[in-house]
Amino acid sequence: MKLTPENLLLLAVALPAVAAVVVWMLGSANRSVSRRIALAVTLVELLLAGALVCQFPGIADKSASGDAAYAVSSIEWLGGASPLNVSLSFGLDGLSLWLFALSALLMVTSVLVSWEAIKDRPAAFYSLLLLLEAGVLGVFAARDIILFYVCFEFTLIPLFFLIGGWGSEQRQYAAMKFFLFTLAGSVLTFLSLLAIVLWDRQHAGSGVMNFSIPELTKNLIENPLPDSLQLMIFLGLFAGFAIKVPLFPLHTWLPLAHVQAPTAGSVMLAGVLLKIGTYGFLRFSIPMLPEATAVCAPYLLWLAVAGIVYGALVALAQTDMKRLIAYSSVSHLGFCMLGIFALNPAGVQGGALQMVNHGLSTGGLFAIVGMIYERYHTREIKHLGGLCRQVPLLTLMMVLFTFSSIGLPGMNGFAGEFPLLLGMFQRAWADAPVAWAGHYRIISVVALSGVVLGAWYMLWLVKRVFFGPLKEPAHDETEPPVRDLTLREGCALAPLLVFVFWIGLQPKFFLDPMAPALDRATQAATQRVNEDVPFHSTTAHNAATIDSNQ
Amino acid sequence: MPPLTELTLLHLVPEIVLMLTATAIYVVGAFGAAQQGWSWMAQCGIALAAYALYFQASIFDDGLTGPLVIDHLAFFIRSLALGVAALLVLLTARAARDRQGPETTGSVLLVMAGVMLSASAADLVLLFLSLELISIPTYVLLYISRRDASGQESAVKYFFLSILSSAVLLYGLSFLYGVGGSTYLGEIRAALVTASETAAVPGAISLAHVALVLIVGGLAFKIAAVPFHFYAADVYQGTTHANAGLLAVAPKIAGVVVLVRIVVAAMPGNEEFAWKLLLVMSMVTMTLGNVVALWQNNIRRMLAYSSIAHAGYLLIGLAVGLASTDQPIGYDGLAATMLYLSVYALATIGAFSALSCLGKYGPADGQLDALSGLTRSQPIIALAMAVFMFSLAGLPPLAGFWGKLTLLGGALDVYLTPGDADLRRWFLALAIVGAINAAIAAGYYLRVIAVMYFRPAKSEPPLLSSYGAYAAMLVCALGVIAIGIYPGPLVGHSAQATESVRENLELKSTKDVERSP
Repeated sequence: MKLTPENLLLLAVALPAVAAVVVWMLGSANRSVSRRIALAVTLVELLLAGALVCQFPGIADKSASGDAAYAVSSIEWLGGASPLNVSLSFGLDGLSLWLFALSALLMVTSVLVSWEAIKDRPAAFYSLLLLLEAGVLGVFAARDIILFYVCFEFTLIPLFFLIGGWGSEQRQYAAMKFFLFTLAGSVLTFLSLLAIVLWDRQHAGSGVMNFSIPELTKNLIENPLPDSLQLMIFLGLFAGFAIKVPLFPLHTWLPLAHVQAPTAGSVMLAGVLLKIGTYGFLRFSIPMLPEATAVCAPYLLWLAVAGIVYGALVALAQTDMKRLIAYSSVSHLGFCMLGIFALNPAGVQGGALQMVNHGLSTGGLFAIVGMIYERYHTREIKHLGGLCRQVPLLTLMMVLFTFSSIGLPGMNGFAGEFPLLLGMFQRAWADAPVAWAGHYRIISVVALSGVVLGAWYMLWLVKRVFFGPLKEPAHDETEPPVRDLTLREGCALAPLLVFVFWIGLQPKFFLDPMAPALDRATQAATQRVNEDVPFHSTTAHNAATIDSNQ
Repeated sequence: MPPLTELTLLHLVPEIVLMLTATAIYVVGAFGAAQQGWSWMAQCGIALAAYALYFQASIFDDGLTGPLVIDHLAFFIRSLALGVAALLVLLTARAARDRQGPETTGSVLLVMAGVMLSASAADLVLLFLSLELISIPTYVLLYISRRDASGQESAVKYFFLSILSSAVLLYGLSFLYGVGGSTYLGEIRAALVTASETAAVPGAISLAHVALVLIVGGLAFKIAAVPFHFYAADVYQGTTHANAGLLAVAPKIAGVVVLVRIVVAAMPGNEEFAWKLLLVMSMVTMTLGNVVALWQNNIRRMLAYSSIAHAGYLLIGLAVGLASTDQPIGYDGLAATMLYLSVYALATIGAFSALSCLGKYGPADGQLDALSGLTRSQPIIALAMAVFMFSLAGLPPLAGFWGKLTLLGGALDVYLTPGDADLRRWFLALAIVGAINAAIAAGYYLRVIAVMYFRPAKSEPPLLSSYGAYAAMLVCALGVIAIGIYPGPLVGHSAQATESVRENLELKSTKDVERSP
């Protein structure tokens, strides 16, 4: 087998699934075997992802456009004999590249933060973690619509067991709620995806079912769905993706699941799983249903901004560190949605980059909270204080990830938040659709307050927990003294930090491979929205604005 | 009716082998002192029948002979029935050893012979007889397997309601005979085609509606569809795991295939009425089954309501098959029903096997609490049970997902096909109700998993007691996973099975069975 990108990608998706079975089979009480295999596999995965990124057309060769699909392979699955020609078709493009790499990166962090924390049934734990990795990598690499859904749903199963089996007190309730909430939305998403395929079969002329996402997108742009059907399909997709994101009134499962999950589960859930929702909007809703996107965008923006403010205000009131960060995710994902549904290049690119940023910073924050919990067995803010004297390095990490999260210039949060807000303001003032101009302006101004609130609750958290007079819960004599950041923990956080600064200092490197794919995905919807704009500026003008701002 | 020849008998060899094996087991069992060995004997009989079935398939063409129709659908269902028979014999192995050995094993074989016969019957009398061949040994099984009060209650309830449903069905069949002027399905079909085209016989179609309602009512009992579902929960709860597994699968297979033969294939001109009836039944059945299952604390009652809900899913495919008679659709609703039937049978028998192989301290009476923390004492059984629950809930990548995919796809396809607006709206509603039900169902399936995985282990964990049931469980679990990962062959076979069910009934001299050279 030659190490072409296609084979590397197939290997990257298949390896964790196989390794999961191996880890489970070896399932001895011996913890170190399972966790070593898991670490080795996730490191190999990270290498594979790195190799795939390095060879990506937009990165390896600057002149090539990142538009073309890359590492595409297709294996017959249901077989040509049956009318359901679903195939195991994988590939990456600008939309999925960074999310794919992010998943591989956060997986290593997840294994490292579980290293000491997981004492009960380690083989099962690591095998579920690896299954989860196979699922999320499959979601981002899938080019077949049914394969996408299979992976999308499949991620629920390992996460359900991870939360329910290794979580905190309310784990059973949290696992059930997480699963049922997500499933309730995704069954409607499933109907919508099926409807797209079936409609395409009847109207594309070939009469056979086509499950390939790029081909369906192409067909639906050339031969758009009727408006009423678009709206229905959009709402069906919305049900699943919005719950996953989660968009404002549908977020109630998230704080519970995050707080109850073991650290690795929270890291993966916040870092990667939530992105599947926004990714779904970018992959299916916006390119395939431009008319419905344009009609629904203002409503979605309202929900997004409601989530931004609501998440931030609720985060301010939290007494539990993990819950605070969970609510901050609601707020941050609201920003991603805001950028994406601003539907202009600056906003969409900012939103897409912010997806990756949120994965890095929130993944890091959850890992740090997990580390504090391992040391003090509490996450209550009021039980802790002045920890910088006890754990200076950990404090440094916390401060850096906080800065990343609140969007300090020079770090990744700024590189994403700035263009997305820029895009939103541009949409609100320069290019607002006539009927919605007022709404858009209110939305963009209110969203800005979310940035301020975000800085407030995060910095306040850091101040209360890490600075001021030292306050520690009573220390159990039988346990070893509290240690500062260990090498293992450093290794879990350092790679995230590298990317926090890399994205912050050189966002162009990350935006360039994405931009063509994002443009293509949102082109039809952007055009459709711009039709409602009285003197709308051209796409070229928007693109120029971004370049000059970088 | 085509002439009855020696070929007709040759076609029945698999059924005859099963019945002879059953008879031999009954007779020898009356004299023999051996406490075991009946299961092995039965498995040999099943293997022989399977060999005969496959041998037939290679030498005979499809066609009609005597009261039989030989086609892909018959072959598919008969193969499925033999597979189910093998699993059920494994599942009842322990019961067969403990008490009433020969009677239990023999009755299981007779039930499955009845299912096989119903798949190829093309005559009302034979159809009715085959359904009775399923019912009567079932009464025996229910009666002998548990001698306590609840067991007897369950046997009596099933007995009376089953008799009633047979009467309703028979009443319906007599109307059909009146309309068609024959007991042969091919002739009834021809008569109804003429009646609907020429209106030569005034009132024929409205009489056919009456026949249809009664027949669907009688068969709804077999598949446990609303409003004939009431017996299910009580009967399943009162009997053993193995019997509940048999009740949840065998009559359902027969009921569905007879619905296809009579309602879909033999009653042209009634499609519009039929799809409306089945569609409404389907929506009500699955919603009621799933919602009521959420409140059950007894796992057999829960699985009884789950089997009701799955009857609703099976009806989706039939309604789609009826509504889209003239449209060449990508994946036929009837095929989806066949696919769903197979994956449902596998997961359901698997679930009851998993329960049944837990002996002492296990959920003998169906208490859900007995499964607490099962993953620590019996990790393989817990994992297998989780696989069955996820498959029944329709989660990928397990077999149940492909069943849901094809069924809901069929309903959506009717909606998206240009045509009668009223029809399209109904099928959109059906697809949405079906999808939402999948989410509701996950609620109670997950509860079983949560009990096994997230609750602390009991001080006295259940012990593994029956290796037969354990083997059946492993086979089912591997099957569910294998079909989930590689569904191609089953999807292909189910599509082939229902390719031309309607035309297969048409009497043509050239289509009569001939021995190939």
